[in-house]
Amino acid sequence: MTNQPRGSVTRRHALAGAAAVAAMPLFAPSIGRAQASGPIRLAGLVSLTGGGSAFGPNDRMAHQAVIDEVNAAGGIRGQKVEYLAEDDETNPEAGVRAARKLIDVDKVSAIMSVWASAVATAVLPLCWENQVMMLAIAAADSIAMLPHQGYFVRTQPHTELQGREFANFAIRRGAKHFYVMMPQTPFTDSVMRGIKDLCGAKGIKVSTVVYDAKKTSFRSEVDDMMRAAPDVLMIGGYQPDDIVLAKDVYRANYKGTSVGFAYGLTPQFIEGAGKEAAEGLYSIEPIPAAGSSAYARLKTMLKRDQLDTYVCQAYDHANLAILSLAKAGKSGGTAIRDNVRKITNPEGLKVDNALDGLKAIAAGKEINYQGASGPCRFDEHGNIIEVEFRLNQIRDGKIVEVKS
Amino acid sequence: MERVLQLVVNGVMAGAVLAVPAIGFTTIFAVLRFANFAVAAHMAVGAFAGYVVNAWLGFPAWTATLAAFAGAASVGVATDHLTLRRLRGYSALTIAIASIALNLMVENALRFAFGNAPRNFSIPLMRDWSVGSIHVGPQQVENAVIAVVAMAALFAFFSLTTTGKAMRAVADNPTLADSKGIDPDHMARVALAIGMGLGGVGGMLIGLDTSLDPLLGFRSILSVFAAAVVGGLGSIPGAVVGGLAIGLAEELSLLALPATYKAVVGFVAILIMLTLRPRGLVGPRTS
Repeated sequence: MTNQPRGSVTRRHALAGAAAVAAMPLFAPSIGRAQASGPIRLAGLVSLTGGGSAFGPNDRMAHQAVIDEVNAAGGIRGQKVEYLAEDDETNPEAGVRAARKLIDVDKVSAIMSVWASAVATAVLPLCWENQVMMLAIAAADSIAMLPHQGYFVRTQPHTELQGREFANFAIRRGAKHFYVMMPQTPFTDSVMRGIKDLCGAKGIKVSTVVYDAKKTSFRSEVDDMMRAAPDVLMIGGYQPDDIVLAKDVYRANYKGTSVGFAYGLTPQFIEGAGKEAAEGLYSIEPIPAAGSSAYARLKTMLKRDQLDTYVCQAYDHANLAILSLAKAGKSGGTAIRDNVRKITNPEGLKVDNALDGLKAIAAGKEINYQGASGPCRFDEHGNIIEVEFRLNQIRDGKIVEVKS
Repeated sequence: MERVLQLVVNGVMAGAVLAVPAIGFTTIFAVLRFANFAVAAHMAVGAFAGYVVNAWLGFPAWTATLAAFAGAASVGVATDHLTLRRLRGYSALTIAIASIALNLMVENALRFAFGNAPRNFSIPLMRDWSVGSIHVGPQQVENAVIAVVAMAALFAFFSLTTTGKAMRAVADNPTLADSKGIDPDHMARVALAIGMGLGGVGGMLIGLDTSLDPLLGFRSILSVFAAAVVGGLGSIPGAVVGGLAIGLAEELSLLALPATYKAVVGFVAILIMLTLRPRGLVGPRTS
């Protein structure tokens, strides 16, 4: 027995170490196989802070609920699903940082429920370059026109379509002058184009103002609006700037009709702007399929009486990703891309959740996923095909559905 | 012409509110010689302190403004003691970068405590007063009055009190002040308390007119920084002039530029001043 000092390296140790290093390539394939057979990773890139913070936490909850349910039933063909959520702060820079981590470090197959168009625009190139599927909410027309190679679908109707719905609102109210105030976003132009096309054809004058959403006051912009004396005003921002704008509009004693996006005119908006400034404002939103079995199922899962359209879309994103992977029989963003349109086959068995869909796919059946937000059928650009809108009004501090 | 007059009124009102945190920013710079961007988060701290006193405890806006000063001043001194004070020997740029990190930490602590949802002070929302074709909001006037009172109190402090005079001495010539036995650490704490406190009052005033959330200060800091630079970093009268100049320039820019470029005004003002007149409009020659 030698009296060897602790920590010293003998020739035998050195040889053993060198041999281990030399042998590493032999084990590498099995390491690779172990990663491939690990859990399937799906990510939510949701807005937990910033302008979309009213919706991100619910979206995350819906993803988690679907994935927990699938894992409890054995996963996708026996493979567990791991869920990761990152906050994009409703900010493209933060969104890209978070997406980089999800793609490069976590190796996710899909990024789900990106809400803000600016974030989706910034993150989508990372997705298609890395063959990661994006299932988004973001509605700017320009996103679907990017060369995304099919790695993009969205469940929110594109923004020109939404703009036309605002134009229809103004037409129904017999407007003569429609004044549109919106922040600078990737969808501002397309919304305004939708409004101008339809209103112009009806002889309605349309004035537009694009403002800087980061400013703390819009008094001068509102003064210009008051001088123009429109009969319908669109407060078309996100929640924080809508609050400031609505207060300034109230102070200026505007007597016409105001309308905005439902994602801006939320219960938190009413809290922030105050009941007086919020009273009477209309909002337009794409509606979820409130009569569908998927909607009823999601209400039970989340223990809610009512669901906004985004949480329904988030539920659908998780189901679509899981069922596409099951249909493909393999993992990866490309598998989702190639199968996301095959699981909404009109001839297939109607399913409203991943569990029933997984069983049907395992039995070799075609399926037709009918989501909580709608039928989830996409055109070649990734746009949702079928959509309906709902008109709300704020009455006595509550958001209620109205007919016109 | 009416439009120009209205823009001038709006600009003066906005500038008066902007001047308050700009004075805070420049006070800290005058004594500590670095740009402390954590003023942004402390604007939000002050706004939330005022919110608690106003909306939760039921005190009026005036009392809440005092709470905003006290809350932001206390947190400002404490956070500096825990973080930036240890970096005093490093370059101004290093400490300025560290102050951005501190700003993020304080903002996130606010998010943790209060959430992200925008909140409203418990004050009635009033219609504007009209004088001919020009109108002005009662809240704007109240904010401007609070801003003027805060500025007057600060000038009285610097002119009439021993501590105020000592601070001016440190700002003017730190070496000479040190040789006269003025404690620089004590002066640093006083400057931070005043600077962050005024930031908190500024945040509260913005919150009264709009709404408050943890990013309230972050959205305003460019204009605050621009006001301090335009007036002359380190000059308290300069911050007042700078605040009014930026407020007016941002509003009057609407005559020539689309509203979406309003934020450019602050950047352009900083660029022009640093290029053509680095000491600002009324800043000391040595800065």
